[in-house]
Amino acid sequence: MHELSLAHSLIEQLLDLAKEHQAERITRVTVTLGPFSGIVRDSFEFGFDNLKQSQPATREAVLKLETPDPVYICLDCNKVSVIPFLVPNDPMDMKYHSLYPKKCPWCCSNRLSPKDGTELILNQVEME
Amino acid sequence: MCDTCGCQLHEHHHHDAKVVEVNQSLLAANQKQANSNRHHIEEMGAVAINMISSPGSGKTTLLERTIDALKDTVKIGVIEGDIETERDADRIRAKGVPAVQLTTGGACHLDAPMVHGGLHVLEHFAKGSKYDLIFIENVGNLVCPATFDLGEHQRVVLLSVPEGSDKPAKYPATFRSADLVLITKTDLLPYFDFSMDEAKKETLTLKPELPIFPLSATTGDGFDQWIAYLRSLLHN
Repeated sequence: MHELSLAHSLIEQLLDLAKEHQAERITRVTVTLGPFSGIVRDSFEFGFDNLKQSQPATREAVLKLETPDPVYICLDCNKVSVIPFLVPNDPMDMKYHSLYPKKCPWCCSNRLSPKDGTELILNQVEME
Repeated sequence: MCDTCGCQLHEHHHHDAKVVEVNQSLLAANQKQANSNRHHIEEMGAVAINMISSPGSGKTTLLERTIDALKDTVKIGVIEGDIETERDADRIRAKGVPAVQLTTGGACHLDAPMVHGGLHVLEHFAKGSKYDLIFIENVGNLVCPATFDLGEHQRVVLLSVPEGSDKPAKYPATFRSADLVLITKTDLLPYFDFSMDEAKKETLTLKPELPIFPLSATTGDGFDQWIAYLRSLLHN
């Protein structure tokens, strides 16, 4: 629900950067959304694509989102594993089925604790 | 090949294109204000607690009982966040404690700039005297408030028995961001299918070592532990 306010603060950051670097327009923006940030990728993109229209400097900006896979630490065996989220429109993908419901691939414990992954970072901005 | 995007079509790039490495949080503006709020709260003599939970889990009732227990010895101020109405602030004022109502008009969370405004109003109410403890009651919502630092010193997340013991697993970002979890309305345990073991296990999987206090504001069970925790935070 708060993706729109985040997209709004991103637009403001971009306008400040364009001013600071005396650029007329932003062409490309790279953002990392951590897997445990609680930010929904589609909603954030939707918010950005709507809000960017309101400013001449951001109107043509292309948003490139990087969404790293979630990393867990097993509280029983202490091993770290990467277990991707299931993609809702691809429920028949058998590749990951053995991992769901989520359990440690090393010891099969279900006590998987999220590791880091709350970051929301504006990485790089291209402008001209 | 173009270094910037890896494309083969060099013509479409303007010569004055510029790439800026920013590597800054999207929440940078909120974070800056939150840090300044924290400093402001310390200048006011207080520690601040951000209370997060779903609507109806008992945040305001917990505050009323907490004020009853502490107000003779501890100077308390309250910032209430709601989408609409002054109702919660009125309940707190009825206890004789200054309260500021922030109405977000639809926004699903408080952010640091809103709390900044609230702190100035609390300061005005105090007429030059200091506070010991400031409670910031967030908008009832187990999702969005987790993302926004308000300048608090401790974040307390409430889970009430009627909501069900599966909530920590379902709303991990919020429970993971907590410094303390309160399981409220424990007087209702006989009437609900709530597993204390599940609630504790799921919470501790997200964040091992997180303290969890079960309590009931109605019967007072478990309240001593909560009051002792609050007293341990005070500056003097």
